[in-house]
Amino acid sequence: VISFKSIFSRIIFLHVIVVVIAAILMPLGLYWFLKSAASDLQHQVMREQADLVANYLVLRPTGSWELELPPVLQALYSRAYGRYAFAVLAADGKVMFSSLKDQSPVFSEDAHAADAAFLHTRKGDAVMSGVSLPKAADGRTVWIQVGEDMANRDVIVDDIVADFFKRVGWITLPILLFLLAIDIVIFRRALRPLVDASEMAQKINPKRTDVRLSSKKIPNEILPLVQAINQALDRLEAGFRVQREFTADAAHELRTPLTILRSRIDALADRGTSKALHQDIEGMARIVSQLLDIAELETLSIDPAEKADVRAICCEVAEFAAPLALAQGKSIALSGTDDPVWLNGNAEMLSRAIRNLVENAINHSPPGTTVEIVVEESGMVHVLDQGPGIKDDERELIFQRFWRRDRRRSGSAGLGLSIVQRIADAHAAIVSVENRPSGGAKFSLSFARTT
Amino acid sequence: MRVLVVEDNEELAQLLAQGLNAEGYQADLLTTVAEARAVVTTVRYAALILDLGLPDGDGLSILREIRQRKDPMPVLVLTARGGVDDRVSGLRGGADDYLVKPFALEELVARLEALLRRPGQLLGRSLHVANLAFDTESRQAFIDDKPQVLSAREIAVLELLMRRKDHVVSKKLVEDHIFGLSGEVASNAIEVYVHRLRKQLSERGAKVQIHTIRGVGYLIAEEKVA
Repeated sequence: VISFKSIFSRIIFLHVIVVVIAAILMPLGLYWFLKSAASDLQHQVMREQADLVANYLVLRPTGSWELELPPVLQALYSRAYGRYAFAVLAADGKVMFSSLKDQSPVFSEDAHAADAAFLHTRKGDAVMSGVSLPKAADGRTVWIQVGEDMANRDVIVDDIVADFFKRVGWITLPILLFLLAIDIVIFRRALRPLVDASEMAQKINPKRTDVRLSSKKIPNEILPLVQAINQALDRLEAGFRVQREFTADAAHELRTPLTILRSRIDALADRGTSKALHQDIEGMARIVSQLLDIAELETLSIDPAEKADVRAICCEVAEFAAPLALAQGKSIALSGTDDPVWLNGNAEMLSRAIRNLVENAINHSPPGTTVEIVVEESGMVHVLDQGPGIKDDERELIFQRFWRRDRRRSGSAGLGLSIVQRIADAHAAIVSVENRPSGGAKFSLSFARTT
Repeated sequence: MRVLVVEDNEELAQLLAQGLNAEGYQADLLTTVAEARAVVTTVRYAALILDLGLPDGDGLSILREIRQRKDPMPVLVLTARGGVDDRVSGLRGGADDYLVKPFALEELVARLEALLRRPGQLLGRSLHVANLAFDTESRQAFIDDKPQVLSAREIAVLELLMRRKDHVVSKKLVEDHIFGLSGEVASNAIEVYVHRLRKQLSERGAKVQIHTIRGVGYLIAEEKVA
């Protein structure tokens, strides 16, 4: 079974089969009709000739039959002309009259039919085709046979039938091919709205849920499908909206109580307890933020037109993280190119990814060291620390959600690097990590630069 | 100084009011957009602390109305949504600063002070870091209340850093501020001024530290005693 993916090629394939069958059957059918029309015409002529002969066949009162043909008819049946022959047979099959030289009958087979019978026989070289017509007079019946030698058929009829293929039959083929070509054009035009609708449908993604298929020019048969797709998109868009709203609501619901808790802790008289609780709150707030980041990232897709300067982003992250680092007795530095490094991406998301790497690096660095951010012109961003580095068997694990080296450490849900990974994926960037020869880890993000 | 706090969570509002009172502010509390709209047109406040998610609407609508009236009152937006869209729409809507919940009360007070110290705003002219003070009007630095003589460019750098204490001031900003748009700046000129300023301050006993964030800028903070 041949199966086609495309409606167009399926229709064309079936159409070609139909054209081929029609190209064969049409000339054959026409030939058959022509031939039977020619044969009917001959039968009619033979019958008329037999009637004519019958008119001149007279039964005498003496009981003997007499045939007096006029000269025109005698010439017609003359052996010199050789085309037509007649014979008159009695009931016992005896030949009474014959134009043939040995007084033989035209048709030797059954000559006793009650009505005119059309016969066909081979007689020497000749193929005789004609009629056997009974004539009754005074209770006695004779049969008049009139035949035509088919080798000398009427020239015009013969030519029409024989030359049919050569002269007429071929014309059906170009007509069919012409029809096929026109149909291809018609099918193409008919399928155009469907192709357009498919192209529209391809533009739909989580960021562009507002795209709807146009129902203009869509054929009535397909219209319900297009409408059903548009309705499904309406529901999808509503679903995305609900999800986004849920994110905002959840943020509000979690963050306000955290703020209250924090303010109450600030008011505590016991400074030591207050400081410890503060750190807990800090950790919880960070986890809430990261969970919301992750929820938001589920629907993240990067607009191909969106551009971001990753060098400026790194600078902002360094500014943001510097007070944090200094508070822990560490420092931060930015190096590499001083020129903007433009790439296709979402600035806020890139900032979150780099911030997560930098915060991680700060948290894992010993006091007195510097976390270094390096931006390369090629679109690479490195974050280097002087911490303990990453063990070989942990290199893959660290990017998984909720992975932590030290489960006892609070204030970290192990989400930071999985966020980095997800943002990198959305930007078609590669995150990698290696240990520096001098000690510490080096995280790298490599982006494809836009021109 | 009177500030208006619009926050629908009463517990949080009470805590904010207590904290602000402790810092010497007088805080009035409101919980809805409608109330806030009525009050801001009649009472003059030094600043507005505005939560965006209110029960009867979006806090941004009040903000837009305030800015349409050309009211320069500083507005500090509190938001539970940390998303970039929310922040951008808040700042575009006329907010002077924003804080994402959960924030520390200290942070709120610090941001509020920074807003009030902006030119044209109500809060005093004096900036403090440890025992170092700077009078923004007379452009005079003090260490332990003793006036100090510094060069004009050192003063300019110091003012910039002290206005954003505990925050990084980018090198580019310092350059633009000191040299304006005119002339070429020698690549290490800023470093030279900062180095000189750092030396002057430490020699004169200021308990502050000017950190260099390499490749980014500078930050002034209280000196850490090891």
